[in-house]
Amino acid sequence: MQGYLSRVWTLRYFWWALVRNDLRKRYRGSAIGMGWSLLQPIAMTVVLCTVFCQIFHADLKTYAPFLLSGLTVWGFITAVMTQGCQCFFSSEAYIRQHPAPLAIYPLRVTLGASIHLVLGLLVVLSLAWCLHGLDNLRVLIGLLPALMLLLIFGWSLAICMGVVNVLFQDTTHLTEILLQILFYLTPILYPADLLRQRHLAWFLGMNPLAAFLELVRLPILEARLPPWQAFALAGAGALLPAAVAALLLSRIERRLVFYL
Amino acid sequence: MTLIDLENVGLVFHVRRHGRVALKEYLLAGLFRRPRENIMEVRALEGINLQVGEGERLGIVGSNGAGKSTLLKLLAGIYPPTTGRREVRGRISSLFEISLGFESDATGWENIAFRGYLQGETPRSIREKIKPIAEFSELGKFLDMPVRYYSAGMMIRLAFSIATAVEPEILIVDEILAAGDAAFQVKARQRMTSLIARARAVIVVSHDMKAISQLCDRAIWMDRGRICRDGPADEVIEAYTNPSGPTKRQAA
Repeated sequence: MQGYLSRVWTLRYFWWALVRNDLRKRYRGSAIGMGWSLLQPIAMTVVLCTVFCQIFHADLKTYAPFLLSGLTVWGFITAVMTQGCQCFFSSEAYIRQHPAPLAIYPLRVTLGASIHLVLGLLVVLSLAWCLHGLDNLRVLIGLLPALMLLLIFGWSLAICMGVVNVLFQDTTHLTEILLQILFYLTPILYPADLLRQRHLAWFLGMNPLAAFLELVRLPILEARLPPWQAFALAGAGALLPAAVAALLLSRIERRLVFYL
Repeated sequence: MTLIDLENVGLVFHVRRHGRVALKEYLLAGLFRRPRENIMEVRALEGINLQVGEGERLGIVGSNGAGKSTLLKLLAGIYPPTTGRREVRGRISSLFEISLGFESDATGWENIAFRGYLQGETPRSIREKIKPIAEFSELGKFLDMPVRYYSAGMMIRLAFSIATAVEPEILIVDEILAAGDAAFQVKARQRMTSLIARARAVIVVSHDMKAISQLCDRAIWMDRGRICRDGPADEVIEAYTNPSGPTKRQAA
């Protein structure tokens, strides 16, 4: 395991250069390019806020940053899962030429999505500062462990999706369906407290995505550090896919090239 | 000293006849029966025993599908052996499928860096090498262009220039001797010759018998995944190119 990670580290110039290349491709045209790719969650927020504030009389000032933060984190999950599916196929030429550890290709996808996540969270922060002032500055340090956990979670997930997709052709399709279901099961559009009030807290306890959302939302939106339970659940949620990813790689990594 | 040691190595591919299986079919089939009939077994290599020592230049000949390239990929560590043992002492530099694996949206310069990093360069070391690589490729201002606009020949020039800008210990080459146009081929051949001279051991696959006999001192002839002849390059080439000769029995 340690030897494996150190082989990944030895190739850091390679995958980091590719991540930077991906970002440059994505944000080409500087300011406008960056705004363009952040537009999707913002547009969703505007539309949903209009609808929800009209119909359910939600308070725009709390609902808008709540929704935008949720959609930003969700965008990260979607990106690592769908791009993770393709990561080995799109790196086939490298894999066929060089016996590098395969985990670097999901890492490339995850780091790209992570940088995008951080940019999205900066937008959320600016919105929260405009609406609620700078109260949350002293607890923002709590976002660091949350981002670390998200990185591990995303990388592991991308590895698992990539391996499964190489073996089974309908993975991408099933993933899209799964993501759609998860979107509504996770408190993105609605607050988690709504479920707690209806004695559905156990349901939240089973969904690590809810914990990740809480880790991001509480410091930014409510200026308080998340409870340790949320960290524990998110930690478990990150370690489980990490263990599966390690198992999959140890079992099949060397032979994966045969299935490409 | 032995740098490469293959002991009774076999490699079996499991190829699916109809492409990848759908996950839902797999789960359904798992409930009732194993989806076996979809899988075809290909014995790509069988019972390979091969030692390559310090200073040896080994050529591999054989017809298409005999397992030459598979053997190279196994030596390079890309394919794992299904059975047997593979031992390699030293760093391997491999040249195959080099014209693939470019980031098509990045420029030639950027791709030199990417490929360099994959070959173990650092930003510091690539800075010294990038100019000689660019000069060797003779691509000039095309290097500022994204490689998606390159022709196949330009792609090969770039790939060859990067891939051969290494200090090889063990050099593994798959049919690379014909790169680019006539003028570039002369240069490429010179560079290959000097690379081969510097490497501690060399393994070359080629259909160009003249090249093999020039570059190699030893050759193996592969047929249907097995080594059917191993010896001095000229003898093996002679046997391979004259199948009606006295060695036909051995090949069959």
